[in-house]
Amino acid sequence: MSRFFANGSDSESESSEEEVQASNFNKATNFQFSDDEEEVKRVVRSTKEKRYENLTSIIKTIRNHKKIKDIPNTLSSFEDLTRAYTKALPVISKEENGITPRFYIRCLAELEDFINEVWEDREGRKNLSKNNAKSLGTLRQKVRKYIKDFEEDLARFREAPDQESDVEEGEGEAHESDADRAGADSDDGVGAGAGKLAELPKAAKSVTTKAVADDDDSDDSIDWDSDTESETESSEDENLYQNMRERFLKRTTEKEDKDDDKRKDKRKEQKHKVRKRAEDDEDGEWETVVKGNVVEKPKMFEKDAEIDIPLVLAKLIEIMSARGKKRTDRRLQIDLLFELRDIAEQHDLGTPISVKIHFNIISAIFDYNQKISEPMKLEHWALLLEVMQSMMKLLLANPDIIMNESVAEEHEEYVTAPYYIRGCPLAAVERLDDEFTKLLKECDPHSNDYVSRLKDEINVVKTIELVVQYFERCGNNNERCRIYLRKIEHLYYKFDPEVLKRKRGELPATGSAPSSVEVMDKLCKFIYAKDDTDRIRTRAILAHIYHHAMHDNWFQARDLVLMSHLQDNIDAADPSTRILYNRMMANLGLCAFRQENIKDAHHCLVDLMVTGKPKELLAQGLLPQRQHERSAEQEKIEKQRQMPFHMHINLELLECVYLVSAMLLEIPYIAAHEFDARRRMISKTFYQQLRSSERQSLVGPPESMREHVVAAAKAMRCGNWQACANFIVNKKMNTKVWDLFYESERVREMLVKFIKEESLRTYLFTYSNVYTSISIPSLAQMYELPLPKVHSIISKMIINEELMASLDDPSETVVMHRSEPSRLQALAMQFVDKVTNLVDVNEKVFDMKQGNFFQRGNMGNRDRGYNRNQNNQGGNWGGQRRDNRNQRNRNQRGHHKQQQQQQQQQVQTIEEE
Amino acid sequence: MAQFDLTRINCQYLDRHLTFPLLEFLCGKEIYNQQELLEYILETVNKTNMIDYTMDTRKRLNLSQEMPEELVQRKAEVLATLKQLQNEVAPIMKATDILKNGESMKDSKTFVNALQKDYNFKVEHLESAYKLAKYLYECGNYQESTSYLYFCLIVMSPNDKNYLNVLWGKLAAEILTLNWNTALEDLTRLRDYIDSANFSTIQALQQRTWLIHWSVLVFFNHPKGRDLIIEMFLYKPLYLNAIQTMCPHIMRYLATAVVINRTRRNALKDLIKVIQQESYTYRDPITEFLECLYVNFDFEGARLKLHECQTVILNDFFIVACLNEFVEDARLMIFETFCRIHQCITISMLADKLNMKPNEAECWIVNLIRNARLNAKIDSKLGHVVMGTQPLSPYQQLVEKIDSLSMRSEHLAGLIERKSKQKNQESIDSWKYY
Repeated sequence: MSRFFANGSDSESESSEEEVQASNFNKATNFQFSDDEEEVKRVVRSTKEKRYENLTSIIKTIRNHKKIKDIPNTLSSFEDLTRAYTKALPVISKEENGITPRFYIRCLAELEDFINEVWEDREGRKNLSKNNAKSLGTLRQKVRKYIKDFEEDLARFREAPDQESDVEEGEGEAHESDADRAGADSDDGVGAGAGKLAELPKAAKSVTTKAVADDDDSDDSIDWDSDTESETESSEDENLYQNMRERFLKRTTEKEDKDDDKRKDKRKEQKHKVRKRAEDDEDGEWETVVKGNVVEKPKMFEKDAEIDIPLVLAKLIEIMSARGKKRTDRRLQIDLLFELRDIAEQHDLGTPISVKIHFNIISAIFDYNQKISEPMKLEHWALLLEVMQSMMKLLLANPDIIMNESVAEEHEEYVTAPYYIRGCPLAAVERLDDEFTKLLKECDPHSNDYVSRLKDEINVVKTIELVVQYFERCGNNNERCRIYLRKIEHLYYKFDPEVLKRKRGELPATGSAPSSVEVMDKLCKFIYAKDDTDRIRTRAILAHIYHHAMHDNWFQARDLVLMSHLQDNIDAADPSTRILYNRMMANLGLCAFRQENIKDAHHCLVDLMVTGKPKELLAQGLLPQRQHERSAEQEKIEKQRQMPFHMHINLELLECVYLVSAMLLEIPYIAAHEFDARRRMISKTFYQQLRSSERQSLVGPPESMREHVVAAAKAMRCGNWQACANFIVNKKMNTKVWDLFYESERVREMLVKFIKEESLRTYLFTYSNVYTSISIPSLAQMYELPLPKVHSIISKMIINEELMASLDDPSETVVMHRSEPSRLQALAMQFVDKVTNLVDVNEKVFDMKQGNFFQRGNMGNRDRGYNRNQNNQGGNWGGQRRDNRNQRNRNQRGHHKQQQQQQQQQVQTIEEE
Repeated sequence: MAQFDLTRINCQYLDRHLTFPLLEFLCGKEIYNQQELLEYILETVNKTNMIDYTMDTRKRLNLSQEMPEELVQRKAEVLATLKQLQNEVAPIMKATDILKNGESMKDSKTFVNALQKDYNFKVEHLESAYKLAKYLYECGNYQESTSYLYFCLIVMSPNDKNYLNVLWGKLAAEILTLNWNTALEDLTRLRDYIDSANFSTIQALQQRTWLIHWSVLVFFNHPKGRDLIIEMFLYKPLYLNAIQTMCPHIMRYLATAVVINRTRRNALKDLIKVIQQESYTYRDPITEFLECLYVNFDFEGARLKLHECQTVILNDFFIVACLNEFVEDARLMIFETFCRIHQCITISMLADKLNMKPNEAECWIVNLIRNARLNAKIDSKLGHVVMGTQPLSPYQQLVEKIDSLSMRSEHLAGLIERKSKQKNQESIDSWKYY
């Protein structure tokens, strides 16, 4: 039984190592063991052990954090450590006579070294993220303060810091650190087992038993350790490596994977060499320990080996050849590579090698995460960013290094300039960026977490900028297009208030730094000219339009849309481009609205809003589906497409803009065509809102944005502009929507102006039949509009034959001309309308039967549009219209089309009446 | 006035020789410094072979009367080259003269055949004829140049690399010799060629832009040009696009053409759409006038703009001839719109809006009424013009509607009948095979 547990205990210590991979590996089998195991431990442990274990585990995490320079976490761990230490203090004073444990002192010393090192490295410090830099300062202060209490101990420690090297030779107590004790020992045991295995390969069972047998020893050593606790100069670092290493080995033994034996043998050979170097091995048991300890640093190369370029390269290839294999410890790979880099730098092997190793580190980090759909770990990403930046800096600083995908492996050149390296920083930076987006999407957008994550965006942009510089120096067009597109995608959604200020002349037009619009222009024009894949160009155009729209360059944005003919073939594009298109359209609509083009705003937004799911179309969240559940697969894909939160377009704003512009168009239209049987809806969504409010038996004061718009629409129907404007522009609506605009005050003024004008039109349509004449000045007074404006609005209505009236100049009145049709006439008119409908339908049916429905249908539409134009023209220009009419009476049996046109004209005249 | 002057922009798109009339015109206008202009002309002329013109310009600039040595030398050179080229081409020209009267002149193919057969005609001859034409053109001898170019056009196949150049040269020469009829022919030919040849998009755009500028010269001088300019600029999408993307300033000429063309009033609506669309890239008093009148119905603004328009037109070489027509038609437009909207207008107000004196205005209106272009009466006591409006009666509307209905139904019935007949026929036909 105890053996069994002992075995369990080693796996427990493993899982405590935060080694995701390892724990994943053994998870299934381990759970029950570790449960039982805890019980056992509870019996065995003393308070001291417990405290010590706590301390060491914290120390270990500190080390881990240090290694990846994750300073904020180091800081928090350090705080934990001090707390744990105060807790452990009574025990220490009792058991150790107040002498601070060695391992603790050592941790402090290392921490101090680490901080000093980071602090001194000014260059590196400058590149730290804000978060890191801040934590670094705090940590430094705290540690300084704290170690004052331990000055003596520290001094003593610093005098003889190298005791662990002695450990290798003689002191078996090296591995006594509480946390690692069990794990390390049992690992050693297994290592020994493995050693034996190498000598005489046996079947799985026997090996396991051996391993277990060794574990027995480790159990013994626990007891023994606790007696000799005073010597706690365990070499943590070594243990760390060793553990990792040994675990790696052990696993293979446990699994009995024969294929891996070869690799293991290789390792063993290495170890053998090492062993030779270790001078006085006393017995086999210790030998394994030595092996474990020594493996850590010189494991790369033999000590006396002369480290030169080919050797490092060979090593690199050796490490990288394990890439992608199932059993490769990916983390170990990363660590190895880092070490290799350090070695290369120490030996001054030149930047090309360094760049190459950097690049391999990057790909190793990418490899670490196996599932593409899940984001990589934050610390890995931070590491990645750092490595990427340093690599790009190296590349930029050395123009004679050429790194390219097209360089074949055998043509790589490291010794003489120009250096050639195979690799693609472009793909790396693209992946880096993608991972960043994934990370963003992973965390809750409303938390501080998101904000702190978002701060890294600057670093990403900087990195991309570095890559851009690199490719501007030596890249072909295609690569430049790709990296430009990356840059564009980080740029296009950002608002630059300077652009507007410059446009208004508040800032000098040609300032020092180019505004974002200019940068965008430059990048996009390059892509338009040089790109040969359609996708990059399409995306660049979309982003360009988006950016223009954002900065109120309505005409440029509109012309780009019209000239690119994107609407025609956007349906064939991939989903993410379609999403970008939708986003662009939404923004263009907002821009049109700000620029007082209500009709265009409505036109841009109608496609998005009519479906009722702009949220999905803009990829800003998944809607629950009613009919059928998404499969997990589909949901995953859709989630991948979502936009990160900081790029979202405010949906309420969008809807409000849409509804308000629909209101401004629809209400006068309704008023003008009140009795028309063939009235078409301009906006279906708006109608729905109106109708749903009409269905309510009791309408309360408006609460939501929609209710406000509906209430405003109702007020406008009676021509009550004051009420309408109050519903649209008030405190509630301001905070909800209007304040989201950059120049909200201007937008509000514009809105009120439009509300006045459209209300006036509605009023004239609705109430003209009760007047014979209306005085223009009184209308101007009513609607608080300038007289010429009223005059112009009425003139327009008369010209367009919307209002049957004419102006009387001397008295400044509008004189109505309508002759009210009698009841019989009205009925006859309605009847004719219906018959016309019937004929229309008949024609349509016939066309459909003919089989060329679509063609004809289109033609018909075009004709209709054309006719409408013709109609207006006919109506517009004075005497000509009268001529037309006479002509019409004369030759009534004209061409069929002409007839139709006339008939439509008639319909309109009736509509107006 | 310089702010509305388009000469500088227009000249970018014109041939060097075509710019001289424009520049000379400007000399008479005192918009720019006379001295500077002349210097500029001299500079431009120096790039051509027109030595006499150079001398003339120098004289006007009050430079030394003496002909500089260099110029004398060049003159001699030019004459020599000319002589040489003419010698090369002479035999073939002689042959052409002989053939001209014969049968073979009927179409180009037989003509070329005859040339080849009887007179040993070779491609090199064509080449030298082309060179000579170009040289003559550069010397300012346009008349002769056209005849050689004409020859080239007949003999050359459209695939020849110089064909396009010949077409352009012919057009330029015809314009410069003021042969508007042939110029128009050449213009159409060139346009067809550009539209059918497969240029890259950019090239085609460039060619069209040039063509647009050159054609303005032709259109405003040819009696039929006023319809054609609307047809080409406004209703040919390719050219409208070219105007919108490359040279929105052409809107001025298009607008002028539409205003002075009374029979094409329905083009106004389309024009105004385009003007509004392009208003952010180009606006001048003429487009603004139309905008005021037909978009904002701001008559006061229209009046002011009309005033500005006059000066603009007066200083624009292309349209200066249309000044009176433009003013007259613009007035009429204002007036028509006025009448459309108003029931009763005071004459004094109208006169004010039309930039006329009240008496003049009354006279003008009386003339309009008498010519039956206006259904109105003048109340001379109050000084009002009262429009005779006649609202449409519902009955009339009804009749018109029903009328079209019966037509359409008949048409439909006829279609169905034909269709069914066809079907029967088909089924019978298909049986025949068995």
